[in-house]
Amino acid sequence: MSQPAVAQVPAVPAKSRRDRIVLQRLLPFVSLIILFIALAIASPHFLTATNLSSVVRQTAVINIMALGMTMIIITGGIDLSVGAILAISGLIGAMAMEKGFSIPVGVLVGVVTGLACGLANGLMITRLRIQPFIVTLGTLGIFRGTALIISNGLPVHRIPPQFSYLGEGNLLGVPFVLWILVACAVFTHIVLENTRLGRYTFAIGSNREAAIYAGIPVLFHTTAVYAIGGMLTGLAGMIEASRLMTGQPTAGQGYELQAIAAVVIGGGSLQGGEGSVIGTLIGAFIMGLLSNGSDLLGVSPYLQQAIIGAVIILAVTLDEVRKRRTAAA
Amino acid sequence: MLLELNHIKKRYGGVAALSDGCLTVEAGEVHLLLGENGAGKSTLMKIIAGIVERDRGQMLWQGREVQLKTPAEAAAIGISMVHQESLLAPHLTVAENLYLGREERLPFGWVRRQRMMEAANRLISEHQFPLRAEWRVEKLTPAGKQLVEICRAILHGSSLVIFDEPTSSLSGSEAAEVFRIVKTLRERKVGVIYITHRLDELQSVGDRVTIFRDGRTVHTSPLAELTTSRIIQHMVGRELSAIYHRDSLPPGDELLRVEHLNQEGQLRDISFSLRAGEIVGIAGLIGAGRTELCRALFGVDPIDSGRVWVRGREMRIHSPQEAVAAGIALVTEDRQVTGLALRLPIAHNITLANVRGISRFGFLDRTAQNTAAADFIGRLHIRAGSTRQLCGRLSGGNQQKVVIAKWLFRQAQVFLFDEPTRGIDVGAKAEVFNVMDELAKSGAAILMVSSEMQELLQVADRILVMRDGKITGELPGRTTQEAIMRYAALETAAEEIR
Repeated sequence: MSQPAVAQVPAVPAKSRRDRIVLQRLLPFVSLIILFIALAIASPHFLTATNLSSVVRQTAVINIMALGMTMIIITGGIDLSVGAILAISGLIGAMAMEKGFSIPVGVLVGVVTGLACGLANGLMITRLRIQPFIVTLGTLGIFRGTALIISNGLPVHRIPPQFSYLGEGNLLGVPFVLWILVACAVFTHIVLENTRLGRYTFAIGSNREAAIYAGIPVLFHTTAVYAIGGMLTGLAGMIEASRLMTGQPTAGQGYELQAIAAVVIGGGSLQGGEGSVIGTLIGAFIMGLLSNGSDLLGVSPYLQQAIIGAVIILAVTLDEVRKRRTAAA
Repeated sequence: MLLELNHIKKRYGGVAALSDGCLTVEAGEVHLLLGENGAGKSTLMKIIAGIVERDRGQMLWQGREVQLKTPAEAAAIGISMVHQESLLAPHLTVAENLYLGREERLPFGWVRRQRMMEAANRLISEHQFPLRAEWRVEKLTPAGKQLVEICRAILHGSSLVIFDEPTSSLSGSEAAEVFRIVKTLRERKVGVIYITHRLDELQSVGDRVTIFRDGRTVHTSPLAELTTSRIIQHMVGRELSAIYHRDSLPPGDELLRVEHLNQEGQLRDISFSLRAGEIVGIAGLIGAGRTELCRALFGVDPIDSGRVWVRGREMRIHSPQEAVAAGIALVTEDRQVTGLALRLPIAHNITLANVRGISRFGFLDRTAQNTAAADFIGRLHIRAGSTRQLCGRLSGGNQQKVVIAKWLFRQAQVFLFDEPTRGIDVGAKAEVFNVMDELAKSGAAILMVSSEMQELLQVADRILVMRDGKITGELPGRTTQEAIMRYAALETAAEEIR
């Protein structure tokens, strides 16, 4: 403090402290590895190709939704309607194929439907200036209701059989959905970390007022984030439809909470400004492994729910402790 | 001796916030506490008020050693604190806030609302505070909220009241009200600890002074034995190279012109112009419309009528986005709320208003970002560990410099500074003024709002004085405080603070 003329700017903080912080950051990842090893030891069926690819397939849908949710949560928002978006996208995509459109066009229709729903959420949130929680609570009902109306409540079955490849096929020995998931994760990661949109996403979530005062087009970028979230959910909807081989107006109920849980376990903060793609992936896989492991070990599905709930609270508690400690250091 | 603190130590993680804090307070004295930000005053106060616990050292309360673990324990033995930032419940009434946590209780949690209101109003009228018990706290001005906190301390019969920079958000007449209350407390033999950054107000209140620097007590003596320059020396630990004074430059092109600006209930017929190389001060009391003027020019609040020219071109500015695009920058008075993303790194904050400047086709160029950030950290002497340090962990002065760096990187040309030195220490203030001077030299035009007239007299080439949303006078830079006050305070009554 005593010599303002000399600015001391070391390039990086002290090494040991940085290592400790990195180690604490890695905690979710380490937990995932430990969980993986523990399950491998506890159940002979765990480390089989069939089981592992089934974990991947089960997790992929939630995971892809959670990627979009990550961006939304970083802005300080939330999207409760993703389960409904998943259903309406899968349904409309399936209907397009039933009407004779090709599979790629059907998938595109589903993705665009998701995009449109996300855009609608974003526009209502930014133009009507209503809290995201309220808007998406409303659209949850609207999207789900619309899906039920246009389908008369009945699933769409007449889908080309090759469509199952999207959710159930393999490419180069691994489930095709894994490739899609990786592509989506890389896309979201690059958007968040390396683009202007990503920078604005963090800025808006960290301090919306400051972002406005810095001249950032906050409304536009907030809307864009919800639209991207909707788009990813639309894709997830098509994968879900492919796995079920039906367009289900009732699909994806409660998925929104799983997606939110994945983000939160991965270090996302509902206050905004924090979250990462890697974290969310780990969060989703921790939940996926827990439910798969419970199945393999014969744990009752009732208990399973309670375990996952407890893990959410535990993960966030540990993360809070870490943040408080680094804040004090 | 009411309170005695000996060699108090406190560390947060690896950082020593307080290494040797000593302080004695007697009943019926007003004890001033001075020091730059980060000198350890606030930490010591938090220890006294039971907000944090000390690591080492001795705290004697009326001669007996105490270890306070919560603010409630401190309140129970008669210590209360009036916070700088109001800690009241905004949706509740004044009376409810006064009795918060100490309601007179009947069985089943019933509260005696009527009696509470009456008691609160009795207390208020006894002290002639301009408040009513049934008013909702959110409708009060900062001064009014401060009064509520003071009432609370009095109501609970505290024998030691800590004031943490009580006047930093108050106008002159409101500050006088606080001084009057402090004097009343002194007459009632209450001990008062008074933290302040405003050296000009010391004479109005203090008996003794304790000065902190770098986590330790460096000086204690009666106020009468100290001069202002001695105090500054103790605070900064070095001779300040004379009090800063700026030389005017020959003004250049007109960068901002405002004619007949009106805003319902806030601004009335404002006209002025700003030239390159000029620093124009805006003086006035709280509520005169100074912040409102900045917000209107920056497009935060809409105007009803009037014309604005930026760099010779007439513009209609409807949003901060348009203002920034036009080359206007606003350094707000509450930098933590509207200036900085505290949970993001310095580098992100510095480039926040000009992300385009560090990106190509929408993709960020991190090298460009870090080079720019490191450059400004060096140029503005921002004391930070690295470009990745979070802004929330910088001191007030350094945060302010990050805000300024953000606008420098945006290459803004018209700067609106709203209370740029609020809550920052003496050394950082001089540095902020230096930056403003350099800005002016490089051809920017600066509008500077400040409640500290001394600052305006040091820095401004011209001073516009506002009252009731109007510009009531224009004065040359080398004028007097009396002249400013005449334009600012004429007819202004202090009774109404609602």
